[in-house]
Amino acid sequence: MTDKILKMGPHDVGGEKSSALDTKDYGMSYWEKFSNGLRIVISAKGIITLDELRLTAERLGDNYFKMDYFSRNGQALVDACLNKELIIKSELEIKKLKVRENFSIPIIALPDTESIIHLHDGKPHTHEGTDFQEDETGEGPPNYFFDMLAIAEILSEKKLIKMDNIHSKIEQFDNEFPARGILVITKAWMDKDFREFLINDAKNAIESIGIHLETFADIICMPQTNKIHNMVVCTLCSCYPRALLGMPPSWYKSRTYRSRVVYEPRKVLEEFGTYISKSVEVKVHDSNADMRYLILPQRPKGTDGWTKDQLSKLISRDHMVGVRIPDDVV
Amino acid sequence: MMSYSSKKESIPKFNIDSEIIVAKKQSIDHCRTPAYIRGKIGTIERCCGSFSNPEQIAVCNPNPFIIPLYRCRFYQKDIWLNYTGNDKDTLELEIFEHWLMQV
Repeated sequence: MTDKILKMGPHDVGGEKSSALDTKDYGMSYWEKFSNGLRIVISAKGIITLDELRLTAERLGDNYFKMDYFSRNGQALVDACLNKELIIKSELEIKKLKVRENFSIPIIALPDTESIIHLHDGKPHTHEGTDFQEDETGEGPPNYFFDMLAIAEILSEKKLIKMDNIHSKIEQFDNEFPARGILVITKAWMDKDFREFLINDAKNAIESIGIHLETFADIICMPQTNKIHNMVVCTLCSCYPRALLGMPPSWYKSRTYRSRVVYEPRKVLEEFGTYISKSVEVKVHDSNADMRYLILPQRPKGTDGWTKDQLSKLISRDHMVGVRIPDDVV
Repeated sequence: MMSYSSKKESIPKFNIDSEIIVAKKQSIDHCRTPAYIRGKIGTIERCCGSFSNPEQIAVCNPNPFIIPLYRCRFYQKDIWLNYTGNDKDTLELEIFEHWLMQV
């Protein structure tokens, strides 16, 4: 659908044919949260810029989509650290072996099987050693995590970052950021002047209610109306108002969503169960450079006189990305 | 007009609502102008202020150009040959000034 000759690389997927969207959010493992935290700390400190990291990922070529999101970003971070000579290869290898050791704890010595005799159906029963598993998730971290942990330790030994910075990022992403967007929308639903301020000058409006956004990017708020339905995508990577919504869900980062939203937004919305009347304009925002977008859903009907707490329970992340609409209260 | 950037402004060349065409050219290395929008005609929705050129930041240029960034509006039917939605449906994205030309 797009001129192939102009394609920049494997990441430039807007307009490509793709399959049906998996609209589930699979959440994030600790390893993914750590990698995300490290990447953000490194770029926030200007050690490696976001654009450099993006370019390094884009240079993975055909391997770009052969790796999952975090393996790919992890590989880009390794490559960028080596290219910039922040770390040398042998140093990284040695550190990786060392951090791996922390995870190769031998399976706990199993008790003497002879002594584990208990009753089954009232009869004594002996177990073999192999009948036991240490725990349910004994697989340990994925490979890229050892790279991330090694990089984090080396850079903190070099006093470029602090391990604490990463841990507080993980904490913020889990607890602080997702609550902010909900707070902002609730306020806009309850206070007309604030709503106006938010639509005209989102960053300062958000600052005015005591939320300081730790982001280089600016925020634009797009209100849903009876005439326009807004939705957000980043076709080139995964730009998202993280400081307001937390981490983007799995589908937002998927190749399918990034490819399709720009040319068949209504079909993608239908896959989320969102049906937009033909008479309403669907407006897609490709969040492709320095702005980030917050969608302001319409306040559901039937909520007059509701308290802040009641209203905030109606708002979800998907409403603020524009893929779903909060239900009216009947 | 409000600016989204703290960088020293360069004076924007395009006004709100003026018609623009996105350059239909090949880029080298990192760039924030997706292929699907190159060669398409739209209008300026707003100027966002001036920002460092990401194409230069990505290759560690210590003095990147500070360039006006615009939000541009396109009708979907002008981007995609067989767009199936509403004729009024639009798409907006951010384009740096050096990718834009007057129609």
